[in-house]
Amino acid sequence: MAGRSSAEREALARQNAAIMAVFERAGFDHIAPDIIQPADIFLERSGEDIRARTFVFSDPDGNELCLRPDLTVPACRYHLSHGTPQAEARYCYLGTAFRFPDELLSPQEFNQAGIEWFGDSNPVEAEARVMKLTIAALEAAGLARLKVTMGDLGLFNALIGSMAMPERWRRRLRHQFWRPAAFRSLLERFARPATQKRTAISAHVDAIAGQDSEAAVAARLAALNLPHVTDRSTGEIAARLAEKLADRSEAPLDPAMVKEIESYLAIEGSVTDVATQLAKLPSSPALDGARRWFEARIEALEDQGLNPRRFHFSANFGRELEYYTGLVFQVEVEARNAPLVVAGGGRYNDLLQDLGAPTRIPAVGCAIHTERVKAVLA
Amino acid sequence: MSEAVQTLTLGIPSKGRLMEATAGLFAKAGFAIERVGNDRGYRGRLTGVDGIDVAFLSASEIAGQLRDGRISLGVTGEDLLREKIPPTDESVGVALRLGFGPANVVVAVPECWLDVAAMADLDEVAEQFYRAHGRRIRVATKYIHLTRRWFAAHGVTGYRIVDSSGATEGAPAAGLAELIVDITTTGSTLAANHLRILDDGLILESCAVLAVRGENSADTRLQSVVSALSKAL
Repeated sequence: MAGRSSAEREALARQNAAIMAVFERAGFDHIAPDIIQPADIFLERSGEDIRARTFVFSDPDGNELCLRPDLTVPACRYHLSHGTPQAEARYCYLGTAFRFPDELLSPQEFNQAGIEWFGDSNPVEAEARVMKLTIAALEAAGLARLKVTMGDLGLFNALIGSMAMPERWRRRLRHQFWRPAAFRSLLERFARPATQKRTAISAHVDAIAGQDSEAAVAARLAALNLPHVTDRSTGEIAARLAEKLADRSEAPLDPAMVKEIESYLAIEGSVTDVATQLAKLPSSPALDGARRWFEARIEALEDQGLNPRRFHFSANFGRELEYYTGLVFQVEVEARNAPLVVAGGGRYNDLLQDLGAPTRIPAVGCAIHTERVKAVLA
Repeated sequence: MSEAVQTLTLGIPSKGRLMEATAGLFAKAGFAIERVGNDRGYRGRLTGVDGIDVAFLSASEIAGQLRDGRISLGVTGEDLLREKIPPTDESVGVALRLGFGPANVVVAVPECWLDVAAMADLDEVAEQFYRAHGRRIRVATKYIHLTRRWFAAHGVTGYRIVDSSGATEGAPAAGLAELIVDITTTGSTLAANHLRILDDGLILESCAVLAVRGENSADTRLQSVVSALSKAL
């Protein structure tokens, strides 16, 4: 079916008008970000998985451009080119996003309706508000019996933040949070840092011990007669060898903490169940912090008139897009064969700065897959 | 025309060592590959068995045409087959590994990266490089799909693929990429370009294969070719 009939077009437009009315009434400014975007921003910021699905082409001058694969980055670029980046801004949008179909044969062009809230001052409250508006917009479109799933990288950060370990270990754990197998092997490594098998680089680690690492690496490269290729500097190579050296003598991660991390990640269930499971875990500064965070989250959602007791929480829940830094959530609806994800969102505090903002600017948003909403209602 | 008498098309490499080795093996098995029409034509016939036409194609085209069902069987490199046909697509299978044309598809990094031994290091380097330079490390390769699958299986995400169809091993020195995924036989080209294979960087031990489309695997003409070739190996 190469296109929509007038009746189909009108039905989708009517549904999406109902969605956008919710966002606009809540004070979100309805903008129209560019469809054609510089490719580099998407390709550098997204993983190779999104790059593989982005329509990339060149202009006559050889610049790489793309059709936007989603509207979050275009909304960020709009914000950075209008007014003061640090000023609070609330936008909503409705527009087409383009992706090569994946194995699930998803459509290559689809309409996203969404909101982005930049520079919010009360994180937990803003996140609850975004979830409320997402749910209200889906209900305005006619959906009922929504299944909400949430996860929270902030909770995980609160957990490991107060545990005794080098900051570089925390950074590695955060980085691998989305990849369970890699995360597990990392934990095992930190639990026994001194018993790691020797590899091809171990001799180089030996060689920098007790030396200025950068000078030692430079001397070693010269001795081995290895030319320097690529933009990766001798300093960067030395820094990683120095981390490996430091890991060798680092105190192992306390087995009790490994257990705390593992029992936290196993948490899953209704929000009420999760509160019970969290209460059962032993008292520790890390877990007490996580508990307080979770309670504040529930209160904020209740203040929005939502009933979070019906939401599903999973400590493991994540999204493919790596730019999320805190809350992540998705909304599913029971469709004919299987549940269908109709909306998703979360917090992404690093993205605006990555795109050129002078400082780190908080950001939280959501996007609704409008054709899926239509399909469920049909 | 009923299916039983439909002509099968065999894809044969049109040039190079792969062509010579293929012609040699078929001759040993009792088949001659005849060109039809003028000498430089791209069509031919297999003598010694009835009803098999020959298409002379590049090894890469053979893999692609097998995937698209435009030829029934063909001789190509396993590397090209795995690159062109996703693992979920079971319509094409390897009937015989022919042994010639050995080549390993490997991940290789600059030798000067003293801190990188394995794929797990690469993931850390990708993160560090992005923090330091504000851009992704680039992997030059013509094996886009093999690279994506291998890197995903090893949890490496923060990279970009740069499409490279010739002289890939020179890309890091030329500043076009930070590392490569490419084929190597002896490793001497990699060494000459100051590149080193990662400890767990062997993606595929490839050689020439006879690949067939599944719907043709019960065809008696095809089976007689496979069995004669297998005895001649």
